[in-house]
Amino acid sequence: MRVAIVGSGSMGSVHADAWRHTPATVVAFVTASENEPARTLAARHGARLVTRLETVLDEVDVVDICTPTDLHVDFTMQAAAAGRHVICEKPLALTVEDGARMIRIARERGIQLFVAHVVRFFPEYRMARDMVMRREIGRPAVLRLSRCVFHPRKSDNWFIDPARSGGMMLDLMVHDFDYARWVAGDVVRVFARSIRASSPEAQVDHALAILTHRSGAISLVEGSWAFPSPSFRTRFEIAGSDGLITFDGPSATAIETHLHRENETERHEVPLPRSPSHESPYATQLRAFYDALHGGVEPPVRAEDALAAVQIATAAIESARRRMAIEIAPSAETP
Amino acid sequence: MTRIGILSFAHHHAEAYVGNLRAIQDVEIIGTADDDRARGQEVAARSGLQLFTSAEDLLRRRPDGVIVCAENVRHRALVEMAARAGVHVLCEKPLATALADGNAMIDACARAAVNLMIAFPMRFSAPLLEIKRVLDDGRLGRIFCCNATNQGQNPRRHRAWFVQRSLAGGGAVTDHTVHLVDALRWLLGSTIEEVYAQTNEIMPSGGDVETAGLLSLRFRDGSFAAIDCSWSRPDSYPTWGGLAIELIGERGVIAADAFRQTLSRYPEQSPRVQWHYWGSDANQAMIEEFIASIRERRPPRVTGEDGYRALEVVVAAYESARVGQPVRIPAKGQPTDG
Repeated sequence: MRVAIVGSGSMGSVHADAWRHTPATVVAFVTASENEPARTLAARHGARLVTRLETVLDEVDVVDICTPTDLHVDFTMQAAAAGRHVICEKPLALTVEDGARMIRIARERGIQLFVAHVVRFFPEYRMARDMVMRREIGRPAVLRLSRCVFHPRKSDNWFIDPARSGGMMLDLMVHDFDYARWVAGDVVRVFARSIRASSPEAQVDHALAILTHRSGAISLVEGSWAFPSPSFRTRFEIAGSDGLITFDGPSATAIETHLHRENETERHEVPLPRSPSHESPYATQLRAFYDALHGGVEPPVRAEDALAAVQIATAAIESARRRMAIEIAPSAETP
Repeated sequence: MTRIGILSFAHHHAEAYVGNLRAIQDVEIIGTADDDRARGQEVAARSGLQLFTSAEDLLRRRPDGVIVCAENVRHRALVEMAARAGVHVLCEKPLATALADGNAMIDACARAAVNLMIAFPMRFSAPLLEIKRVLDDGRLGRIFCCNATNQGQNPRRHRAWFVQRSLAGGGAVTDHTVHLVDALRWLLGSTIEEVYAQTNEIMPSGGDVETAGLLSLRFRDGSFAAIDCSWSRPDSYPTWGGLAIELIGERGVIAADAFRQTLSRYPEQSPRVQWHYWGSDANQAMIEEFIASIRERRPPRVTGEDGYRALEVVVAAYESARVGQPVRIPAKGQPTDG
């Protein structure tokens, strides 16, 4: 199995490392313009560096899209039109309409479209979900999911441009929207408040969303780019009718402060969570996608799930803007 | 000597207040009255208190103040009775279960010129007082947002009435929202304008009330907050629950946990870990404030008005959960902040 990775930024690099844990080979990187870091990355993986996807489409079986989110739809259309399977970074798309188009073309062309919702492959999240599925805490009642990181300071900064990334609520909170739905089922109502909506003049990005699941369960999802660098704090708890699961519960301190320094000179790029393990969750994820493509195994995350997560995230953004709860109706493309 | 009576032991906090009162010099607990005769006898015997035959009987002994720890729906009758007797009142939270009751209680105490204090011990919590100092110093800059939790075990393990709507008025939302609403009004110095809430009873209540609730509040100054008031701590949890807030400001984030100053104990045999609280006792400081307000003939630092503002949010939360949309407060026809 031969792979072209579109994008030579930090996720392109992470995916390239992860593909090494599978029998697949990364044969090319596609980048908008040749530059030194991209050349170094390609050389490190013994792959070609090209500036147009069509140059390598004939040589590959899989196109792995690690570009800014606004480019997901076009590269997917291009790869699918050529009959190539697609692996796409999360979020699937900036809008539900784009995501639905991606799913439709994948169906029409008979290709697989897998979306890298990597949180599903983090061992702590996976174990908690397995416990819930085994009914070890009864029916899920209240979920609390929190993902608090520093503000991305990437050189070209597409993350902080809502037109390219969808903003923090789509780019970051989509992880936990997907996880909430994976654990407690479909979401029917979303209400959110964000600092972006309440105080647009502030240079602070933090949001709190309340999801109502069809089962009656409720989820509080917290997303933040407001912490000082290099914070990356993820927390969750799932309270059920017969028990409670917590990850990183309250620490034995009365007060914790995370103050920004006057001049934050450290330039951290995209925040990635790190916890030592024998295999990175990114590798676990690509192995699962490889097995699904190679062996026809059911993939652990379907494009329809990724679209549902985009639907929740865009509803949350709309809710914060319109100051009202948004009802979510199932669409033809959502499961 | 300041003479205090305790009207009802329906709320188990009353037992802690007995200890708090006894720790204050020149305070005499004249006794208690409880419309549940068996409960009254049991508590009076265990705590060494004189048991009066009725609240009227206790009030005839002319105490300086009473602490009302009845079931939520019975607060109004006892507070009005105390006011008529010219006795200062500390009322357990929530003030009441309906806004009309809260209004009547505030009016009755105002007419009788007695203090009406509401039991919001978080105003006296050492970690929250430290947060208040940080905010007042401006070290965090403007505050935009707060993520707060007041989760606990189902309180029916203490008293069955907590899960009976007819006596408690509601479940987790009634029981746990008010502490944080009051703490946030105090810390942020702003008024709540809008409430969104969703609730469920997936964790069995053992009665007929909600056990889970998530609220989203909007303040007049544009800041917002989430409150998790769920009874989502299993009986095996290392402690009863907790109260924590995380504030996001211009210059960073600060988090406080009012009950995490604890030691962990791992017994050799039992699988159950227990957290033992060693922090300062907020209840003690609250009861001392009640006594001081009586002695100094001044209003207490937390009043019936504060209790009413918290009750407004509870009432709006139930309405929001019913209609599935945010609800403005104060509702039409209700008085606004003075």
